[in-house]
Amino acid sequence: MARGNEDVWIIIPVYNEEKVIADVLENVLQTFPNVVCVDDGSSDASAQQILGTRAHLVRHPINLGQGAALQTGLRYALGRTGSSYFVTFDADGQHRVEDVLTMLDLARSGKADVVLGSRFLTSAETVPWIKRVVLRTVVALSPTARRLKLTDAHNGLRLFTRGPAEALRISQNGMAHASEIATALARSSWRVAECPVTVLYTEYSRAKGQSLINGVNILFDVSMSRRGR
Amino acid sequence: MKLLIQAVLLAAVLGFLIVFVRGQHGARMRASKRLAFIAFLFLNAFAVLQPEATSWVAKHIFGVGRGADLLLYALIVAFVFAVLSLYLRLQSSEQRTTELVRTVAIRDAEILNRDRGLLPAPTLLAPTEPPA
Repeated sequence: MARGNEDVWIIIPVYNEEKVIADVLENVLQTFPNVVCVDDGSSDASAQQILGTRAHLVRHPINLGQGAALQTGLRYALGRTGSSYFVTFDADGQHRVEDVLTMLDLARSGKADVVLGSRFLTSAETVPWIKRVVLRTVVALSPTARRLKLTDAHNGLRLFTRGPAEALRISQNGMAHASEIATALARSSWRVAECPVTVLYTEYSRAKGQSLINGVNILFDVSMSRRGR
Repeated sequence: MKLLIQAVLLAAVLGFLIVFVRGQHGARMRASKRLAFIAFLFLNAFAVLQPEATSWVAKHIFGVGRGADLLLYALIVAFVFAVLSLYLRLQSSEQRTTELVRTVAIRDAEILNRDRGLLPAPTLLAPTEPPA
């Protein structure tokens, strides 16, 4: 168990991930002692898998969506004494702990309040080409992503220091929360940095990942939410 | 004459847009919705008693061919309005549910994770230390 990361909380939204979640947690807990999993009303044995580890478990009694799960995990972590850094992490094993450490170094150096992982800062070799096209299009169509000069608005790997974490209000329960977070950051005065990360596209994550069709849903949710305000 | 019905329908669409953008559900909004509903009932009764009147209004006031056409246009406008206001209401209802679920989930989780030994016992309820 590594020392010195007691002020870091890893927030993992979980929805029907019984096959991989225990391995992912085992791996993360070796470096970070504080992990909170938000089980978003899974119908499988995800919760039992989490209970077998040293990770904290928060259970939504009903399924609300990934955005809602992130906000719940964030609030739980904010309520723990001594928490200063908050990392959102995917449950399907596509993110690497090494990347979190790099992002943490950047935040600890005081150069940024928010660090976002990007798949495109260096080589984008591991990203399937169709995904590359879709994600780049989303970025090009999103005015906020352009203003922040973001290269990757839909990466689940993000690090917040306490200030921006407390200010964050994710109201989009579904998948549109990524665009919502980008918009909120663009409107705020927090210093946002991007950090190159590697996303491991396994057979499992590929099957569960966002499709082109989901991109249409995200664009619709985002435009409706702007109208509603 | 055709211009008038176009103006009325466009004004209705514009009205919905404004309502949708502002998304307010104040007392004034509710009151005006109810007044509109009462006016609608009275017009209904009038149309039942004087069926030809709708055609007259359609032709001479709005410049629409028949009363039935006017009803169809009005129905579409009313339908869009109903859908939008339901959508807004569903959205705010979802937000409330989320808040409730989140509060319950975190409260339960604090008890659960304390029992698993991951969280310290509550300091407020612990007995004070005996004097040395």
